[in-house]
Amino acid sequence: MFRKFYLLYGFLTLGTAAFGQYHGWSLDTVNQLKNVPKSVRDNPGSYRSVYSGYHHYTGGK
Amino acid sequence: MSAGAPPLSGPPKPQAKGLNCPKCGAAITLHSFGQAVTVVCGSCHSILDAKDPNLAILQQFEAAIREVKPLIPLGTRGKLRGTDYEVIGFQRRSTVVEGITYYWHEYVLFNPYKGIRYLSEYNGHWNDISICKTLPTTEFGGAAIANYLGETYKHFQSADANTDFVLGEFPWQVRVGEQAAVTDYVHPPRVLSSEKLDKEVTWSIGEYMYGREIWEAFKLPGDPPEATGVYENQPSPVTINVTGIWLAFAAFTVFLLALMAGFDMRAKKEPVLHQTYQYNRADSKGESSFVTDVFELTGHPSTVEVKTFAPLSNHWMYLNYALINQDTGQAWDFGREVSYYSGYDSDGSWTEGKQNDAVVIPSVPAGHYYLRVEPEADPSLPNISYTVDVTHDVPVFGIYGIAFLALLVPVVIISFRAYTFERSRWSESDHPPMELSSFSTSSGDDE
Repeated sequence: MFRKFYLLYGFLTLGTAAFGQYHGWSLDTVNQLKNVPKSVRDNPGSYRSVYSGYHHYTGGK
Repeated sequence: MSAGAPPLSGPPKPQAKGLNCPKCGAAITLHSFGQAVTVVCGSCHSILDAKDPNLAILQQFEAAIREVKPLIPLGTRGKLRGTDYEVIGFQRRSTVVEGITYYWHEYVLFNPYKGIRYLSEYNGHWNDISICKTLPTTEFGGAAIANYLGETYKHFQSADANTDFVLGEFPWQVRVGEQAAVTDYVHPPRVLSSEKLDKEVTWSIGEYMYGREIWEAFKLPGDPPEATGVYENQPSPVTINVTGIWLAFAAFTVFLLALMAGFDMRAKKEPVLHQTYQYNRADSKGESSFVTDVFELTGHPSTVEVKTFAPLSNHWMYLNYALINQDTGQAWDFGREVSYYSGYDSDGSWTEGKQNDAVVIPSVPAGHYYLRVEPEADPSLPNISYTVDVTHDVPVFGIYGIAFLALLVPVVIISFRAYTFERSRWSESDHPPMELSSFSTSSGDDE
């Protein structure tokens, strides 16, 4: 029973990997937005990234 | 035998023979007729010669202080594997291993047309046992094995078995205190046992049974005692061929590698933007954000990789990115940090971070895009040039890594379960796990 389950599971896993690869899945996280105004092209400062003001690492050991 | 018990199946019903114990006078009923060689008085526990019309006393033993109550009372009838049997005898046996005494119980079952068979019970583990019809063969090479009816049995344990307590009828000359050399070979769920008493060797074959099966067969009240530990021929809960599952895993891994190679060859990996920019702290006092040239992405929705390279040393740089579709207004907003630190301390030289960074944006449809870039940097960094590369349709190898793990985890879990079960089984044997070379379940396939 488990063998059949594993075979099915394996093919589903491979299928999912192939589907994801074809459709451009990624492991990185980005924030998706809609309806960004066209004016941003001419006035980049009119857009504010959600990541602005991020507390940056000041580094070093 | 209870008065209301149903008759055993088969031709004309034999009549039980009523006798009296010559020692205490208690009534004794012989159920197995010619098959009984000895019978034990249920009252005074004298062992009597069942072949003697006067029931000559063969042995007397003091049972009062070590009375053992059978889990299946004598006289109980039940249907075991399709055949009616009556419990006619019971004995408790023991063996001493490394100073510890282990006890188990054996029941004699009788059917007038099928003859005698046995049940054994140890710590809630049961075996349905019958005498071998042909003589098994044994080999004593590297690992002792026995062959019976085409199956190979591995040597499990050899020990001396003592008879401590007897009750009812027995098809042999039973004696309390007698000692037999017992050797067990296993091929779960079966166990092949040889029992040597004086010069006589008896081979029997047993098959593991669960307590609930016995309780159902004999319609016993309550619940069977819970099985503790792993018994020598107990079937593994992992009822699959572990080697077969590993082979399936290997095949899937090959498929996965083929898939990876195929998608890697098919991926366009098309560079759509390559620009070097200058970051000046003086300039950043005002608006630091800017946009790149427009680039076109074609084909089905696919990945877009944005790579940043900045030759930093003991500084950081942070870039607020937005990939914007100039036609639809759809945008992917993300922030990336590039930082690189190095130094030297009492542990030696060290480095931290990298001068480059890459991010893959998922499922970006075709269209005309540009990047909005808003750089920030370490206040102590006066100026630096950095490079931004955008590549369309790149493979994401992490997906294959996740798929690989997804394929591996169930196999590892199953193998671990099989291994720990077999380890528990063999830890009770003459061949403890340190000598265990493999953990093949040997309990058959899953079909």
